[in-house]
Amino acid sequence: MTTETRVGPLETEELISGSEAIARACALADVDVITAYPIRPYDTVMQFVSKLIANGELTCEYIVAESEHSQFEIVKHASAVGARVFTGSSGVGWFYAFEALAVTCGLRLPMVAMVGNRALDDPGAFGCEHNDALAVRDLGWLLNWAATAQDCIDTAFLAWRVAEDPRVFLPCAISTDGAFLTHSQQIVKVPDRSLVDKFLPPYDRGKFQLHPDNPITIAPQVNEDWLMEIRRQTDAAMRRARDVIIEAHQEFVDIFGRGGDPFLEEYMTDDADVVLIGMGTLALPLKVTVRRMREKGHKVGFIRVKWFRPFPGPELLELLPRFKAVGVIDRDYSLGSPLNGGVLFNEVRSIMYSAPERVPIIGFVAGLGGREITIPSTRQMFEITQKAADEGGTDQELHWIGVRE
Amino acid sequence: MTTTQQLVPLRGVKQSPLEELFTSGHRTCQGCESALVMKLMIKAAGPRTIVLGSTGCMYVANTTYYSTPWVVPWMHTQLGSSGSAALGTAAGLKALMRKAKMKDEPINVIAFCGDGGGADMGLSAISAALTHNEYNLLILLYDNESYANTDIQVSGSSPWGANSTFSPPGTLHRIMNRRWKKNTAGMLAAGHPQARYIATGCASYATDMMNKVRKALTIGGPTFMHTLDPCPKGWDYDPMYSHELGVLAVQTGIWVQYEVEDGKITLNGPSKVLARGKKRLPVEEYLKRQGRFAHFTPEDVAYFQSQIDEMWEKWWIPGVVPPGPQDP
Amino acid sequence: MATYAVEVVYRGIFQKSLSRNICRSIVLASRLEGKIGTAFGRYGDSPERNGIPAKYFAVVAGDPVELEEYLAQYEPTEVDVSIVVDDTLCKGVESWAWYGLQPINALTKPDGAVLVTSYQEPEQLKEDIHVKDQPYDLAILKGSKSFSGLWVYKDDHTDVRILGALARICPDMVGLDSYKEAILQQWGDQRKVTSAERAFERVRRSPVEPGEGNPAEPFSFDLPGWEVMEEALVIPGIEPGGGFRGGEGGFEPVRSSVFKKFSTRTMRPVVNFETCTKCTLCWLQCPDSCFDVTPDGLYDANMEACCGCGVCEDVCPVPDCITMVGEEAFSDNDSQHDHWRRDRDDYMGWLRDKIALGKSETRSHGFHHVGQYDEESQTVEVGYDD
Repeated sequence: MTTETRVGPLETEELISGSEAIARACALADVDVITAYPIRPYDTVMQFVSKLIANGELTCEYIVAESEHSQFEIVKHASAVGARVFTGSSGVGWFYAFEALAVTCGLRLPMVAMVGNRALDDPGAFGCEHNDALAVRDLGWLLNWAATAQDCIDTAFLAWRVAEDPRVFLPCAISTDGAFLTHSQQIVKVPDRSLVDKFLPPYDRGKFQLHPDNPITIAPQVNEDWLMEIRRQTDAAMRRARDVIIEAHQEFVDIFGRGGDPFLEEYMTDDADVVLIGMGTLALPLKVTVRRMREKGHKVGFIRVKWFRPFPGPELLELLPRFKAVGVIDRDYSLGSPLNGGVLFNEVRSIMYSAPERVPIIGFVAGLGGREITIPSTRQMFEITQKAADEGGTDQELHWIGVRE
Repeated sequence: MTTTQQLVPLRGVKQSPLEELFTSGHRTCQGCESALVMKLMIKAAGPRTIVLGSTGCMYVANTTYYSTPWVVPWMHTQLGSSGSAALGTAAGLKALMRKAKMKDEPINVIAFCGDGGGADMGLSAISAALTHNEYNLLILLYDNESYANTDIQVSGSSPWGANSTFSPPGTLHRIMNRRWKKNTAGMLAAGHPQARYIATGCASYATDMMNKVRKALTIGGPTFMHTLDPCPKGWDYDPMYSHELGVLAVQTGIWVQYEVEDGKITLNGPSKVLARGKKRLPVEEYLKRQGRFAHFTPEDVAYFQSQIDEMWEKWWIPGVVPPGPQDP
Repeated sequence: MATYAVEVVYRGIFQKSLSRNICRSIVLASRLEGKIGTAFGRYGDSPERNGIPAKYFAVVAGDPVELEEYLAQYEPTEVDVSIVVDDTLCKGVESWAWYGLQPINALTKPDGAVLVTSYQEPEQLKEDIHVKDQPYDLAILKGSKSFSGLWVYKDDHTDVRILGALARICPDMVGLDSYKEAILQQWGDQRKVTSAERAFERVRRSPVEPGEGNPAEPFSFDLPGWEVMEEALVIPGIEPGGGFRGGEGGFEPVRSSVFKKFSTRTMRPVVNFETCTKCTLCWLQCPDSCFDVTPDGLYDANMEACCGCGVCEDVCPVPDCITMVGEEAFSDNDSQHDHWRRDRDDYMGWLRDKIALGKSETRSHGFHHVGQYDEESQTVEVGYDD
């Protein structure tokens, strides 16, 4: 049950989950076509979407597909005729749609999808891992991670705005940690439609719209004479997305009065010696630990990566060299990768190769399968990182935290 | 709700629309009957149509980047996605029209797939699409009885015993494809009470095929068509005989022409005459014309004939509904 | 030794087995001489479409290092011999995998050879083969277009006859004795060896000087850069057509500006407009929408769009109203209907001439009935060319 308290003419405060927040965003953004298919934990959003439709609060074509593959294919084609679309999935469901996920980028079709992050089968598991969403990191998806239910609704508006910008025209996935965001309710400021309209222009497919008035052919078969040029075009769109994100964030802050920096959320980093970096809801225990350690005089801080694609390389490169050591927390794994680290760890290390000074970088694999990243475990990560800072390096660059030995 | 375009039946070949909406620029085989299906399909549907094409010959050979044969808007969809492409396009148009974000007018939505995309991989998405009676869409399965595009591999719609690169006759096993062709249209008709119209066709009977497309689009709702397309590449015959082989498929009774309109089944054209007792041509007339059956022994031909005979003599409705319980 | 490369330019599917046999045999025979080689179809031409031009390559080197040196550029950019197993391909090659018309001798090395199976004379073929600024030899091995089916191989010895001719025109690559041995190893058929020997004796070669040949500029296409190409995989559709020749009445579709079917045909329809009953069947049953409809209801096969399948001839109910004629009988792609309107008597004379030419050899290709190739192979005379 939702408790509503009107705090101003242009927004209401409501107690809703991250999933419900995104469902509300669908209504406020006047989404045209939504497709659903059940899989935990993302499907909570579709339970709210269907209720909104049933109650007349959201008007759209709502199709319960027969598989995730169809779910994503249906909205892909709806986007091609100019419809604003929303869909989503989790874990192996997202993988079932993988073909559709790949082709949407080449087609340059904007689509907003919610990924309720979930571990991949086998064994079946409902808990949170980031490997599902991260699997598309090379394909042209815009990827971001929300930390709070407020983030969910805000990021959804940003997602349509950036994805549908003609300079970009790429799909965007909003990652929400399973259970922590999808199933827990927080106080969220839900904006009035007028504010959303101000921020989010209608989707205009323009000269790419598939319609009898615009008889184009889309996606004919290519050979080696063409594909490199096409990939280069998509690459250019992803590069342009950086500027579009910065521009959209600024406007978001101006209109809604919240939002912070586009790519990174920094917490007590100004005078920090060591920082931990991570994505999603682990920000919560991290912030608490930072405060507690600061109380004891430790100069620690936390950086939350908000957008993973495009990757905030320039921002991290500017920010990280001033610390004495950096720890990167992955709620994912990349088996057999350099140092057997997680995905974010390897990406951070990669960008830091360009830094003038080498800062020790430690990787932490933690919180897999929905296991909690606890305050003691985050303190442990800070301690390991602090030790590397003190010693100017370490022999062990990768740690699994919270695994039973 | 958006209405449909009212496409009146063509009374004979002379009434065929002159306008070509599928022209040159495609690189299909000489004598490609599936290309003819595309041409007739869009000739029948007219210019206010969006066509979605799933992977297969009619994608790869038809639209090779920078050239296209399509005058109407056309978009590729994935191998198993003809149902989803039709559904997504129809849903997108409907949403935009009912919200007045797009001019409200009836636009035909046709998604096509080959037998690999339709009868195999895309079956579940087609099935799903046929349950959505709030959308006007037509899914057309052009069946050349193999994955002809990828190098002619056997599909669930290939005939028993046919040579293919995945079912080549060998010294130990003469017959490598031991599966009988799926009854795709019949299965979809039986299982989808909300499908408004389901029909089979063959481009050799051009007016009949075009009228079925027109009827499907006029009726609206989810509709499905299945055409049998002789394929000179995969069936191995002189391309000039594509038309003749289509006729032979019908006259031997191997391919049955019918339509199911709101659940009512009607055999039509030559199939109707065969059902009334006209003698079917021996299947050998059809089989021996094709290199894919060149390894058949007389016993193989006899087996093939016996299956066709059973379909005509024992099925409730030949080619559509299999036998029921025996009469007491 | 030097490294040698040959290409076989062939009609997709119909001649796939034939070209594979030729290229594999070259490599197997070279091995008997202690050499090493490789054979491969051009990947870009697959999946093949029947009738659409495609290529197969064979490369022979003295040792593995030499072979590796050569294959560092995987697809040969020049070849010692361009083998053409359908002489209508001398008009040029437009694969389904690229844009523009590639002259048949485009890859032929200076002083290399173009080897064609044909009943045409060198002077006739040179009307089709585009000029080159380097000299080369035109070698002709008398023979018909060897169209075979895909699943059933029509063994008319064309494969081994090509090998015999190769031994003559490129003896340093592989010698006749090795080919003969390789033929016996593969087929165990002495008759095929004899066919190769006779081809060795009978192949005729004549020099082609720079500048000699068809002076027409081949249709070409410039590939645009990524910033010029439209984004989102979008290309413009074909413009709607209109009345015949831009006037009132009839219908003429707009044809693709980037892909013409000039080189996809081995034959084309010629139409007797005097006996046409305007039944519509040729037009309606044409998979390539190649017929322009005239205001008075006649059907004019447009050679930009016709790929020469022959369905129109098959469905036409009027005897000899539409006749498929071998493509070698034509030197232009002009409208027959325009010709007929201009001068009926002249057109009818032209039509009779073309039909007489076209019917002089087997016009169509492929598999007609079970046992056909066996029957035909009984009638194949060893080295049957003259």
